[in-house]
Amino acid sequence: MFEPLITRLLNHLVDQNSWAREQLKPFAGKTVAFRIPPARISLTVLEDGGLAAAGEAAIVSAKVSLPPSVAMRLLAGDANAETLVSIEGDTELATTLSKVLRNMSWEYEEDLSKLVGDIPAHEIADFGRKTVSEVRKQSLNIAEMFTEYWQEEQPMIAKKRHIQQFMQEVERLRDDVERLEKRMDRLSTHLPSSASPENS
Amino acid sequence: MKDKTMGEDNTTHFGFQSVSETEKTRKVREVFHSVARRYDLMNDVMSAGMHRLWKRFTIEVSGVKPGDRVLDIAGGTGDLSRLFSRRIGADGQLVLTDINAAMLEIGRDRLLDEGLPTPAVQCDAEKLPFPENHFDCVCVAFGLRNMTHKEQALKEMQRVLKPGGRLLVLEFSQVWKPLAPLYDAYSFKLLPLMGKLLARDAESYQYLAESIRMHPDQETLRQMMLDAGLAKVDFYNLAAGVVALHKGWKA
Repeated sequence: MFEPLITRLLNHLVDQNSWAREQLKPFAGKTVAFRIPPARISLTVLEDGGLAAAGEAAIVSAKVSLPPSVAMRLLAGDANAETLVSIEGDTELATTLSKVLRNMSWEYEEDLSKLVGDIPAHEIADFGRKTVSEVRKQSLNIAEMFTEYWQEEQPMIAKKRHIQQFMQEVERLRDDVERLEKRMDRLSTHLPSSASPENS
Repeated sequence: MKDKTMGEDNTTHFGFQSVSETEKTRKVREVFHSVARRYDLMNDVMSAGMHRLWKRFTIEVSGVKPGDRVLDIAGGTGDLSRLFSRRIGADGQLVLTDINAAMLEIGRDRLLDEGLPTPAVQCDAEKLPFPENHFDCVCVAFGLRNMTHKEQALKEMQRVLKPGGRLLVLEFSQVWKPLAPLYDAYSFKLLPLMGKLLARDAESYQYLAESIRMHPDQETLRQMMLDAGLAKVDFYNLAAGVVALHKGWKA
């Protein structure tokens, strides 16, 4: 039902990121199914290197599954999360398409300029960028403020050096336990057989 | 219900009527000759302008790129040809065809008026006058259901496609079941009335409504395309199945 809309949006993005076409063209006609529970979407690579939502009878060449938490980490730019993505089938196709989708950027200023003109579009986009940056900065400040309060005033969160100290103590304790176990083993092997209850 | 195959019997359907094959060809020609001048206006009214979105989606899914060769079958008033022409650019080749001279003339003139000179060929889709393995994309929008021998037409379309080429069939299809009573009321009551008021031709639009019902559903058409020799066929339901777009690839 939403295929035309999804296809339009995807191709608009591909048009704005012309490098994507060349990367996708070798996989023309192939379909990848993405599963991010509860969402599920299949995309077909077009012969011109564009993308379309897959139809009802598409044959899937590769499946990419990732939990929502991993998807969020990927969106936030956490490269380590890539290892948690599960890929089945044509790995090269799935990897290329995932990479293209992650690296495509939306030129919203360009789109806006078609509606309101170049200068207002630049001003609006600039205002948007500054707002996002300010919100991010203020969010970090507030988070730091709460962290400090919970660490110093109402100690609910442990400090990093306290955790490190605790970890070192745990390691020392583990070593001590191991050493003690070994000494006990040695002692038990050296115990005289006369210590057995039968000879007492 | 499928058309009777050639040689088995010479009758086929024309809407809900059973007529001889020659009679069907003549009647379809009459219908389109009658509606040609107001065809686009009626399409806009009947689909609330959605046929334009469906056609744009068809172009997008085609994957046609600059320099490609495209064949627009039953292209009539040239809606798709206009969009294809812009995609393939000056290096591409587009051929507009239709069996009906009145429709083809309107399409050809419109393309010329827009500065898009396009070869327009009046021909029968069941006997395409083009060599094998010639086109990157063949498209038929709202035309297949009027063809007498659909299987033969699909085979011809497959023949003229290059390996790796795509066949796109945009056609009315089977609507999502819960909406069927509403759609029936619209097709058999409102559609002929609109045809009478706007095109002064209720009978032609009665035929259009009936021919939609006689057309194969999504899965049947998919199988027919596979039987015609296409290696893979996918389809999209548009507007809850009122229309379906089938895309087939030649191996």
